[in-house]
Amino acid sequence: MTHAPPAKVGLLGVLTVILVAGGAFLLGFYGLPRAAGGGSVWQRLCRAAGIVSASADSERAAALPGLTTVVIPHDAMTTGTADQIGHGATLALRCTGCHGAQGESGADAPNLAGQYPEVIYKQLLDYQRGARVGAVMGAMAATLSAEDMLNLAHYYAYLPRLEHDHPLSSAPVLVRVGDPMRGIAPCASCHGSNDGKVGAPALDGEPKVYLEHQLTAFADGARHNDANAIMRGEARQMTAAEIALVTAHYASR
Amino acid sequence: MIKSRYLVLAHFWTAFILFLAALLLGEWQMLLRSPLHAWVDIPEHYYRSVTGHGTVMAYVFPMLIAMGFGYAIVELSLKQPLIGLKWAWGAFAVAVAGALMAAAAVASGAATVLYTFYPPLIGSPFYYIGIVLVVVGSWIWVSLMAVNLRAWRRHHPGEPVPLAMYANVAGAYLWAWTAVGAALEILLQILPVALGFKSTIDAGLARVLFSWTLHAIVYFWLMPAYIAFYVIVPRAIGGRLYSDVMARLAFALFLVFAMPIGVHHLFADPEVGSGFKFVHAVFTAMVVIPTLLTVFTICASVEIAARLRGGRGVLGWLTALPWRNPAMLGLTFSFVMLGLGGAGGLINMSYQMDSTIHNTQWVTGHFHLIFGGAVVIMYFIIAYDLWPNLTLKPLAQCRLIGLQLWLWFIGIVVMTLPWHLAGLLGMPRRMAYFDFSNPALASQAWTVNAAVLGGALLLASGVLFVVILARAHFNPRSALAPYRFSAAVHAAARVPKALNGYALWVCLMIALTLTNYAIPIALLLRANTGVPPVFYFNR
Repeated sequence: MTHAPPAKVGLLGVLTVILVAGGAFLLGFYGLPRAAGGGSVWQRLCRAAGIVSASADSERAAALPGLTTVVIPHDAMTTGTADQIGHGATLALRCTGCHGAQGESGADAPNLAGQYPEVIYKQLLDYQRGARVGAVMGAMAATLSAEDMLNLAHYYAYLPRLEHDHPLSSAPVLVRVGDPMRGIAPCASCHGSNDGKVGAPALDGEPKVYLEHQLTAFADGARHNDANAIMRGEARQMTAAEIALVTAHYASR
Repeated sequence: MIKSRYLVLAHFWTAFILFLAALLLGEWQMLLRSPLHAWVDIPEHYYRSVTGHGTVMAYVFPMLIAMGFGYAIVELSLKQPLIGLKWAWGAFAVAVAGALMAAAAVASGAATVLYTFYPPLIGSPFYYIGIVLVVVGSWIWVSLMAVNLRAWRRHHPGEPVPLAMYANVAGAYLWAWTAVGAALEILLQILPVALGFKSTIDAGLARVLFSWTLHAIVYFWLMPAYIAFYVIVPRAIGGRLYSDVMARLAFALFLVFAMPIGVHHLFADPEVGSGFKFVHAVFTAMVVIPTLLTVFTICASVEIAARLRGGRGVLGWLTALPWRNPAMLGLTFSFVMLGLGGAGGLINMSYQMDSTIHNTQWVTGHFHLIFGGAVVIMYFIIAYDLWPNLTLKPLAQCRLIGLQLWLWFIGIVVMTLPWHLAGLLGMPRRMAYFDFSNPALASQAWTVNAAVLGGALLLASGVLFVVILARAHFNPRSALAPYRFSAAVHAAARVPKALNGYALWVCLMIALTLTNYAIPIALLLRANTGVPPVFYFNR
């Protein structure tokens, strides 16, 4: 048995698609934006298409002074050349007083040996631009060029870091798994052992006094150069006892 | 008999062994997240497992099934030996090599980025290259499907392409275009960063490109199941296909409407304009048409089978159906799950309602119900149906098969329905653990326990499935009746030209991709908002 199906299926298909597409675009770009109101027809259409004006963004940025504006260049995420490291080593002579001759501080300033280069670069730029405030470091960074900062970063990244041999399983709960109900992410998910994120410093073996001071400063907003307020959000949720616990963990070797 | 049966068997066995491994990972994840087990100490291990589970289940498993089934369809429906057998083995080797490479990268912890990649997360380049190889293998398969169809047409000018092959090639073309989005994302955005040539990546653009693939891939997974609805089930239950032309129309419409809808995955993403979100929501709704066409045609076909078996009355014919027949049972379960999942899908695709469940456990429940449930149960039916022709040995274990299908159905329902509820209550997805000792969460703990139970049933069913297939290899050989696909009530002596080819539907698919994606992609390219990557391996 045979039968003759409609022959104009193709034409019908094309018409249906055009009708649906036309209706959807008309509603999505004219009807619904019109119902929502605001601006001219053209402005509403641009908004529905996802075109945002750049001026709004820059105005917002200008209204929030003192925040970090550092964009990490590719150079700061690679291993430095011998020239860069050599130049950095020369510049670093004036850092040794606090950060130690081999990048290991005896004065509770951060140990810089083996730190990620982009971390050092970002902090130097933040000090120079005033996003991070420190009486000594602000002055030290004031005269550095971007190239100087990059070379300093490469020099310290090149120095060997002291080994840290605590397995993650013996770390405090906050370090391993955080506390999701309070919005505290595990420290280890950015600061190493478990995983590392670009821009997050390695914390193993840093002085306890320094770490505690920084967490407290993040918590009360005195330090505010963390992108998207990530560290301020974490630190605000932590009790003094918890700060003492996690900093003791990272400071122990 | 299928001449290239070893080729098909190689695809199916590889697929099912990987499937079983991924199933095991899935159940381990469920256990880990539940109150029955201590919190995972290192969440990375959980996400590593999720990445492995997702990569196998979303890419490798369905791709191997579609490829193997496609090769079988060429021989069984076109009645000609497969052209390009060596190429097909080559494609298989490339795909398997890619899958192993990706699996090694994931297992070593160098690519814990989940199967949807999530830039700016960047894993080991071996992971992405492995995925690319799997896709390259599948593209060879797409070309072979086109080549074989062309050869057939040359010898049968003007004749209607057999329905099974028509649908199969529609699926192949859908996949070829669907994969382009993720391929662009991997080749132009992710790999240059993973290999160290670039230092920033535009996550917004990557998400838009991935959405190009993300929803249409779902219909690619669905294709073998839909083909089985039309060309296997009616014959297997002793009936006839209600309408051959309606079936073709459904597959043609899938080509058109499955593609330009991915932005409904980005409803919460600020980088895409609301106008495009609305347009994509409308087109997602249009997928209802080929879906309902299918439900109608298959239900009608089942009624025909029932009346041929002596069924009477308005609903009385339901009792005349062969309920113990695996194809009947599989179809029933599949439709129930498709119905539930489809209803949930309507909520996901609605711009406003989505905000209630976006990124919650509801979504995980939804795609496990649709893919893990409605689709995978039909993969089982395909394997059961083809197995005697692949092994040349009978598969007479009807009761075990019934048990396996029941276990799978109950497992999926027990696992995914509580997930939907948990999602409505706000449980986020992609979490390694929950603190169920917290009073705010304690009342939801049972949903995760239910998932462990459902997962255990699924694992048992998966093991049973593999055992049934493996045991068939040890049966004595027996004479086989020639294999055939469902016949339509009215044999199609001729079909409309548009429904015997793909040109029109492929053109519409590409045109709609352009109208729905060109502007969002162009705007993101112009905005150039790259961010530094987050490396998941030692750089």
